[in-house]
Amino acid sequence: MAGVDDFVEADNAEAIISRIEHKSRKIESLLKQGRPVESLKTALEGSPPNTRDERCKSANWIVVHRAIMAIKDFDALFSSLDPEYYDILMKYLYRGLSTGDRPTCDQCLRIHERLTERAGLGCILRTLADTVNTV
Amino acid sequence: MCLQNFPCQEVERHNKPEVELKTSSELILNPILICRNEAEKCLIETSINSLRISLKVRQADELENILTKKFLRFLSMRAEAFQVLRRKPVPGYDISFLITNYHCEDMQKSKLIDFIVQFMEDIDKEISELKMSVNTRGRLVAAEFLKQFI
Repeated sequence: MAGVDDFVEADNAEAIISRIEHKSRKIESLLKQGRPVESLKTALEGSPPNTRDERCKSANWIVVHRAIMAIKDFDALFSSLDPEYYDILMKYLYRGLSTGDRPTCDQCLRIHERLTERAGLGCILRTLADTVNTV
Repeated sequence: MCLQNFPCQEVERHNKPEVELKTSSELILNPILICRNEAEKCLIETSINSLRISLKVRQADELENILTKKFLRFLSMRAEAFQVLRRKPVPGYDISFLITNYHCEDMQKSKLIDFIVQFMEDIDKEISELKMSVNTRGRLVAAEFLKQFI
């Protein structure tokens, strides 16, 4: 069973990485058009929660990071983002907070504050407790 | 903070804080690292019966570095009196707290959290006071010493 999973992982990893690259190109174009909220939504949509492959997760993180740093208007963000993405966004925020890089942390802390007001403490608890779908 | 009693799974009649041992992955949750900037960070690790909080205090220059290390070492040596303090900080951090289910049974959770916040604020105040007093003393001593050369 573990062998089968490994094969599935290897194929999927390449497929996922190419999907992520495709996504990042779309996001760059969205950012150039000045729509950071859409770019963040696109970045969060294709998040691969079930891969164990670190490269996929890092690749996706880079894309999401780019979108997060471009956001200036937080109210518009929350009015248009679906609640199902709150958990994934929170996980990415904590990944951002662990980097230690000052602008990233500032931005992540700002979004975190608004997201907790919106989504409640359960969202934070789910980042802690969810060991299956890690970001 | 929901901590409950959980006897050790491997050894009979033992009760150990799972966050320290990390023997079984089903008992520990994802650790969270929160960095305010490059110099300050906070690591929170939880498990079913214990919670470990490690903090790195901001140290602007060499003097603060030495003062922080000595002061926090002084406090950690007397960890028995504080109960929730860990004797040695986790590697990479300046000070660590270990809260177990027993502490939660004896003390109120909100008060525990308030204690930790208050503790850190007091530490910051103490260290800046210490730094100021060291600088003042140094200045006075130097002034006295150099008077004889005037």
